[in-house]
Amino acid sequence: MTGRARARSRGRGRGQEPAAPGAQPSVQQEAAKPVMPTPPEGQLVGRGRQKPAPGAMSEEAMLQISAGFQQVKIGERGGRRRDFHDSGVHTRQLMEHVKESKTGVSGTAIELRANFMRLLSRPLWALYQYHVDYKPPMESRRLRSALLFQHEETLGKAHTFDGAILFLPNKLHNTETVLCSETRNGEKVEITVTLTNELPPSSPVCLQFYNILFRRILRILNMQQIGRHYYNPDDPFNIPQHRLTIWPGFVTTILQYESSIMLCTDVSHKVLRSETVLDFMYSLRQQCGDQRFPEACTKELVGLIILTKYNNKTYRIDDIAWDHTPNNTFKKGDTEISFKNYFKTQYGLDITDGNQVLLVSHVKRLGPSGRPPPGPAMLVPEFCYLTGLTDKMRADFNIMKDLASHTRLSPEQRETRINRLISNINRNADVQNELTTWGLSFENRLLSMNGRVLPSERIIQGGRAYEYNPWTADWTKEMRGLPLISCMSLDNWLMFYTRRNADVAQSLLQTLNKVSGPMGIRMQRAIMIEYEDRQESLLRALQQNVARETQMVVVILPTNRKDKYDCVKKYLCVDCPTPSQCVVSRTISKPQALMTVATKIALQMNCKMGGELWSVEIPLRQLMIVGIDCYHDTAAGKRSIGALVASLNQGMSRWFSKCVLQNRGQEIIDALKGSLQAALKAYLKYNNCLPSRIIVFRDGVGDGMLQSVVDYEVPQIMQSIKTMGQDYEPKLSVVVVKKRISSRFFARIDGKIANPPPGTVIDTEVTRPEWYDFFIVSQAVRFGCVAPTHYNVVFDSSGLKPDHMQRLTYKLCHMYYNWQGIVRVPAPCQYAHKLAFLVGQSIHKEPNMNLDDFLYYL
Amino acid sequence: MCLMRTHSRADLTKTLAMTTPFSPPLYMQRYQFVIDYVKTYRPKKVIDFGCAECCLLKKLKFHRNGIQLLVGVDINSVVLLKRMHTLAPLISDYLQPSDGPLTIELYQGSVTEREPCTRGFDLVTCVELIEHLELVEVASFSEVVFGYMSPGAVIVSTPNAEFNPLLPGLRGFRNYDHKFEWTRAEFQTWAHKVCRDYGYSVHFTGVGEAVGHWREVGFCTQIAVFQRNFHDTMSNAERLEPSVYRLMYRVVYPSLSDNNIYQRTLVNEVLYEAQHLRQEWLSRMNMDSSNNAHFCAPPLMDVFQHGLEGGTRDCQPVYQQGGTICVPLARVWSSPRVRALCGSVQRLREELQVDSRVRMSADGTVLILPAAADDEDDEEVEEEENVKAVSGVANNVEEDWDRELGCYGNV
Repeated sequence: MTGRARARSRGRGRGQEPAAPGAQPSVQQEAAKPVMPTPPEGQLVGRGRQKPAPGAMSEEAMLQISAGFQQVKIGERGGRRRDFHDSGVHTRQLMEHVKESKTGVSGTAIELRANFMRLLSRPLWALYQYHVDYKPPMESRRLRSALLFQHEETLGKAHTFDGAILFLPNKLHNTETVLCSETRNGEKVEITVTLTNELPPSSPVCLQFYNILFRRILRILNMQQIGRHYYNPDDPFNIPQHRLTIWPGFVTTILQYESSIMLCTDVSHKVLRSETVLDFMYSLRQQCGDQRFPEACTKELVGLIILTKYNNKTYRIDDIAWDHTPNNTFKKGDTEISFKNYFKTQYGLDITDGNQVLLVSHVKRLGPSGRPPPGPAMLVPEFCYLTGLTDKMRADFNIMKDLASHTRLSPEQRETRINRLISNINRNADVQNELTTWGLSFENRLLSMNGRVLPSERIIQGGRAYEYNPWTADWTKEMRGLPLISCMSLDNWLMFYTRRNADVAQSLLQTLNKVSGPMGIRMQRAIMIEYEDRQESLLRALQQNVARETQMVVVILPTNRKDKYDCVKKYLCVDCPTPSQCVVSRTISKPQALMTVATKIALQMNCKMGGELWSVEIPLRQLMIVGIDCYHDTAAGKRSIGALVASLNQGMSRWFSKCVLQNRGQEIIDALKGSLQAALKAYLKYNNCLPSRIIVFRDGVGDGMLQSVVDYEVPQIMQSIKTMGQDYEPKLSVVVVKKRISSRFFARIDGKIANPPPGTVIDTEVTRPEWYDFFIVSQAVRFGCVAPTHYNVVFDSSGLKPDHMQRLTYKLCHMYYNWQGIVRVPAPCQYAHKLAFLVGQSIHKEPNMNLDDFLYYL
Repeated sequence: MCLMRTHSRADLTKTLAMTTPFSPPLYMQRYQFVIDYVKTYRPKKVIDFGCAECCLLKKLKFHRNGIQLLVGVDINSVVLLKRMHTLAPLISDYLQPSDGPLTIELYQGSVTEREPCTRGFDLVTCVELIEHLELVEVASFSEVVFGYMSPGAVIVSTPNAEFNPLLPGLRGFRNYDHKFEWTRAEFQTWAHKVCRDYGYSVHFTGVGEAVGHWREVGFCTQIAVFQRNFHDTMSNAERLEPSVYRLMYRVVYPSLSDNNIYQRTLVNEVLYEAQHLRQEWLSRMNMDSSNNAHFCAPPLMDVFQHGLEGGTRDCQPVYQQGGTICVPLARVWSSPRVRALCGSVQRLREELQVDSRVRMSADGTVLILPAAADDEDDEEVEEEENVKAVSGVANNVEEDWDRELGCYGNV
């Protein structure tokens, strides 16, 4: 595997990076879901019917939450608010076989601690929701409010009212209360207050309320909100070389988990920069000269997120107004005012450089009260701070190392940080005061719970089976010298190199020859072709030499510049479908590492051509596993890319793949429906029958998108299967895979706080009652904290026991051929990710269908 | 932010135009009056009574002009709680700490109560406040503000009743909560009495003038600016904890007057500069070695802009010594940002010598940085880890989940 490939296969796509502090998700997600309470189903109602608690909520305390309730309304009205926690998606109740229990049994028990704290509420806690009606109707919200609260003695001091809906901590005597008020003009108004809902502690609105309350607690602890999370500005660390400032902080959510309402909190970091856009422009101009400046400036700046100096808002730079300076004017009210004067009078800010050009941001957010966006915002570079990391920084090993040294926390450090937050909460008097007003408190320690460690798998390779070290979850050593399952012989292949790299090319060739023998790969000498170190000449060399019979093309790239790599992949994946392998010369320049690298390259070349490496036992027959992932290109105008891979054989060693480019306004699954049918046809061709079970692992589902997967994608998948024949009814399971989650687990190994071992399954306590879900820690990490992967089975007609579902998932994590070890997600997801990434980053077109049956995208 | 928005602003102005014919709106003019005053007299400690939605405080936070302590007092705690977070420091206040300190405090309390911690202020503002008090309370207000607190200056604004006939559609007072609205004569009578009783002098002005012959009714809002006649004895007194008022909110802005923040900011700036000089030097060395055609002798300093003004010592070159790159302190000192932070090279040296993030030569003239970037290929370490049994390996018994489900051979 090349350095590039390693970085990519394990990294994330550029587009998927968390953009910047406060950046709004740019895509408007699915239509709004009413977040307003309908009484929650089943088990929850019981508590809600309890007697009201006499609770004294002060007016002050109540006021804190009203902002949140207004948000509820916004969610109802315009659909601007997203439910990031996917609450309200009740999938488990539709699956008969997991209604009773969704826990597995395999493996040995392990004691764990999780980054969760229970929320303890005063017994009989509830919120009461009232509808308020005016006769004659009153327009003004302020007047409605004033009229209603003439009756404070009836309603009580604690209340929140948004003009129509009233929340009270206590139940009024009657379900319907009629009050009479008088306006200042002496007009009599009849107000009817009707109880519409009794909200139990676990109702969505109450959960929302807890979250608002907790955000307030973080504010009391002097944390700054950036985006959805809170950071501590008093304890920053700096990387002065690039003027980076990193704030430590927390991601928090309070939700109803399996048996109790808990706070889940994880450490998070925010990268800020104490450099303004103007500073950046100055140094860029110095670097590239006046002539090239406009072009370079546009290239570097457009797409970046900036933070304004005079408020905490963030904007994305969409354009640069080269003909605007701060001396230009804009219309404020009825008068024209220059930017310069505006900032002076409004914020007392002086513009030092009157000739700086302005930045343009197309504001997508709606104007006040749902009005259309107010048009582009013009921003003064001097008052804009850059945020986040640029690609250049990301490629800089030293910056990333510095960053990692501060942000990559060992399990012990992470636990300490979270514990410190807990003790801060419990020690701070203001926080405690706030909580007691509401009759709430947090358990003062992390949740202790049990998980299970699944037995490690036996790796089967060429009639032999071996075991691996369960702690490292890696079998690089074990597979050495063993023949692979199936090998493609290399009879006709090419190696391209530049003059400078002639020597490394030769030694790579020799080493490949040496390592391929024991694997069982027959290798003829490659045809060596020298190319000039320019993109055009590389392309020409490819065009002239790659023929129909060419089995494999190896290109040695002098640097890890992206353009040449893209050029090779574009030509060989679209125009002239041929498996190819790029290697950066630096990777193979060290003689002592060459054996290892060549081994990896040989393995990769073999799978790209259709060879198979290893397998694990899959105790289900006629099974097709499908993996789906997408890639979102953040650069303007680029489309999202969806990739689908599907297994073709019992051993999960052959995969069919399709990659589609999404059209505007189209759901990714619409484009992938055809791909699924093609996959089924390919399965039929290989096996002479259609699969009797299909399990879809769907990755790349964002926060708050679960509902649309359940409501839209699953039916689409079923419909697509149906097209294979009316009486074809395979069993279908759809599993949503989520890597980016804030749940963390800690084990105690040899008296020390450590990561849970690979194969740890968690399916109690921290799962969600309304889902059939579980966590698996499948990979091993050498540094930092291991991130568990969350699996949510949203549809399952297979009848498979939860235990088998968990184990099958874990088995599939062993099957990614670009890594001789266990990966974080099932192989089909990792393959789909790789494919979508390749197309999104390099090819930008649908790959040639002749490659569909190969792992060419590895 | 300056959105090119037309809707909301226009609407707002329209509604305002119906009630008050002033542009900018009168409340803005009142705030601007205070801001202009602060700009001219530069008070250090300012208290705003009846701060309500904290609009004036928020404006003064931006137009600081040397204010170090900004206090808001209102009787309504709910409105304070609702708005107090708008006074919190912005992210940029942390990214670029200001030079002077600033503390903002909000209290719930009444202007008729004596609160020790409100004494010793330079300026007290009561914008549209007194007309909300009962007339009896006005007396105790005068006693508390002028007699007890005795600040350096007081700005009091209140409606001018004589102007009311010009306001279209107005019957009675301008606001239902107003207990009185004074004519100019009434206001001035009160003000002069205050001056006599407590040793202040006053001058009258206002904002919002009518046009033409209506001018003689005076300003729409009348303003009295009081100056204390005697020297103050309390301004340097220790700040006390509130004993009558209730503290609702307190925030200390990050500033360079905080030693830790100062040290951190300075060191960041120095390291930024030093690293850039190092990088520049390294890339020049690289270029020289790859363009062997003409080997440059140790890079003569190309003219360095800031360097010239400091004299001869500024042209000291960056050089390599063993595994380190040495950057002369004088070169770092030539950065305007560093200069702005630190008055003299001497001070700079002292600050850097005590900081653990900076390595300096023994005589404190040279910063020492590592020459080579750490090599990135330290990851391929072959390591033998001792195997610990976590869990058994799956037993060799062949499993068949289909059969277990009893549905094998379905299709």
